[in-house]
Amino acid sequence: MDFYFGLAQIIGVHTLIGLSAYIVLLTGQVSLAQAGFFAVGAYVAGMLTVLAGWAILPALAASAVLGAVVACAVGFPALRVKGLMLVIVTLAFGEGVRLFFFNFDYQVAKGGVKLGPLGSEGFRQIRYFPENGWTTMDVMLFIWVFVTLAMALLWWFDRSRYGAVLRAVGEDELAAQSVGLNLTAVKVSAMTIGGAIAGLGGGIYAHYTTHIEHASFGILLATFALAYPILGGLGSVFGTLLAAMFVQGFLVEGLRFLGDWRNLLFGALIVLAMNVRPKGFLDAPTLLGLKRLFGGKSGAA
Amino acid sequence: MKQIAVAVSLAFAAVGTTGALAQEKTIKIAGFGAKSGVVRSFGVNSEAAMLAAADQINKAGGIKLADGSKAKIKIDYYDDRCTAEEGISVARRMAGTDALVGVGPTCSNVAEPLFGILQKKVDDKSDSGMQFPIFSDVAIKGGLARISEWSFRNVPNEMTMYSSLFYWLKTQHPTLKTVFGGVEEDFAHSRATWYVVMKDRAIANGYTVAGESKWLLADTNFATQVREMKKANADIVAISAHPFSTCGVLKEMQRQGVKPKLLVGLTSTSSLETMQGCAKQAEGMMIPTSFAPVNKEATAAANATAKFKGSADLHSMAAWENMFILKQVMESENLSGNAKDLASDRRKVRDGLAKLKVTKGLLGDTKRTDDREADKPYLFVQAKSGNWVVLHNPL
Repeated sequence: MDFYFGLAQIIGVHTLIGLSAYIVLLTGQVSLAQAGFFAVGAYVAGMLTVLAGWAILPALAASAVLGAVVACAVGFPALRVKGLMLVIVTLAFGEGVRLFFFNFDYQVAKGGVKLGPLGSEGFRQIRYFPENGWTTMDVMLFIWVFVTLAMALLWWFDRSRYGAVLRAVGEDELAAQSVGLNLTAVKVSAMTIGGAIAGLGGGIYAHYTTHIEHASFGILLATFALAYPILGGLGSVFGTLLAAMFVQGFLVEGLRFLGDWRNLLFGALIVLAMNVRPKGFLDAPTLLGLKRLFGGKSGAA
Repeated sequence: MKQIAVAVSLAFAAVGTTGALAQEKTIKIAGFGAKSGVVRSFGVNSEAAMLAAADQINKAGGIKLADGSKAKIKIDYYDDRCTAEEGISVARRMAGTDALVGVGPTCSNVAEPLFGILQKKVDDKSDSGMQFPIFSDVAIKGGLARISEWSFRNVPNEMTMYSSLFYWLKTQHPTLKTVFGGVEEDFAHSRATWYVVMKDRAIANGYTVAGESKWLLADTNFATQVREMKKANADIVAISAHPFSTCGVLKEMQRQGVKPKLLVGLTSTSSLETMQGCAKQAEGMMIPTSFAPVNKEATAAANATAKFKGSADLHSMAAWENMFILKQVMESENLSGNAKDLASDRRKVRDGLAKLKVTKGLLGDTKRTDDREADKPYLFVQAKSGNWVVLHNPL
């Protein structure tokens, strides 16, 4: 069972980074900076538990807060531009963060062994979970508590005035501005919340892999972060979860038995999925159908 | 009627045979490594070497178990795509099967997190890390087996090899004074080998480092780095990079007319891939390696691996050696081979590997260190006319 619990851990963390991009996408912004926030969270949480001896919860709280602060700081200048320009700006930020950790050395001797980030060689021995006797199932449940909380928060936003504001900005900025909405505040707040979720995800990632390095936080991760909500559909927060399960559970793990063919099929199946479901797995008609199925009101999605 | 009786008898006989075969025990060994991306060839070659070795062991009867019966080896090989997350996932998958031990991975950046999720100290009840023995064949970055007592490696000691190489070069070419380093900066192994091993050993042997240029594994343009190299005009150029970017740099050196008096390469570059990619440009390059088909046994191993569509190099032949070391350990530790004893059999494999002081390798005896690393015999090879030929045997 450990394998399945381990897989659930991976899906959980990928859902978190997908959710961090989801809230930004709701405002119509395409951000490739999520991998950068994720990296910040990973290094901060790792350093706090390994070097400072913190417990996991405060370390994750710090990684979420720092992820949010960095996202907020990036959001103000970055969100002055939009569309393709924003993609380039956030990509540059993500690469900047990756290259920072590529060159970041901060090692401390503990028990005769030097621990901490060591540039491109990474940061090893982030072993809080095994050293404290956590089983794979414990870690999986721990991760899914955070995934559930993040999804609940975003689900609640979607049903609140704030969610309507996010979508209004995403649908038509000019119309949103004309009714008095502060575009900068809306976009930066979404970016900040996304940064907090990504930072939290990164903190958890560092602890379940036990070793992090700059290469783990590159453009591929940023692309996956964006792909989850787009593939899953922006109609509901559950789409991101579904897409993370599809990619990590089916395409990566489920097709492993195909060997070399897996890599060929990987891209082809994503293209196929986007063609069959151009607005994501959970698009508006599907959500409406699900609502009817489960006896909900058939209002607009 | 008689025909029906014969047919029924044959059918029963067939069922009986199938039943007997089904009862034959199997020892499963899981291999894993990169079978995708730029380092794909490492995984492909390791898998071929493992299959070839298993085939040879099985043809010789298999592995003798505690009850005197013999078990055949079965290999399952998994692609981890050289990523940490997938490596961990593959390890968990292997541990969830009836595999007794894992052989791999290819990449040091997979080995580090993977060893991190293993139990650090055996019998430490407070450590919930995975209890599954891993015996590495390729991941070569120094000191990784220290991370967990469940991890073992059969990879060469680069510090010893390059120390010996630079010492030998000093004695053979006393007029050469300066070294310029080229490093594939974003790959854990190549970076560590330049900064911790090559550079250090060159200085220790009296060379002056005239400079260094850096590039990335996926880079395709090396004009700037080679210009720096040209400007430094060092006697020796030492390239710490894998075959793919090494070939790119060598071709750019040819384009810019950079001709150092000596070329030194990374141990992982002494492979067929380099010869396929840039044999002409690599001409003369010297590399210390733990494998070359210099004796009957090594040649036979290389030929057997070729039958499984793999090429023999220091990494794949380590996988070959691992299989025979594991056979020796499994037989000496009296494995039961029964599904109910899986955990204790895995523990026996781990303990057996930990006990080893010397193992038999294709180039001779390999000393095992207390921190579960190998001190393998090595020699120096040189690229000549599209082949790696033995230049010197320092041992």
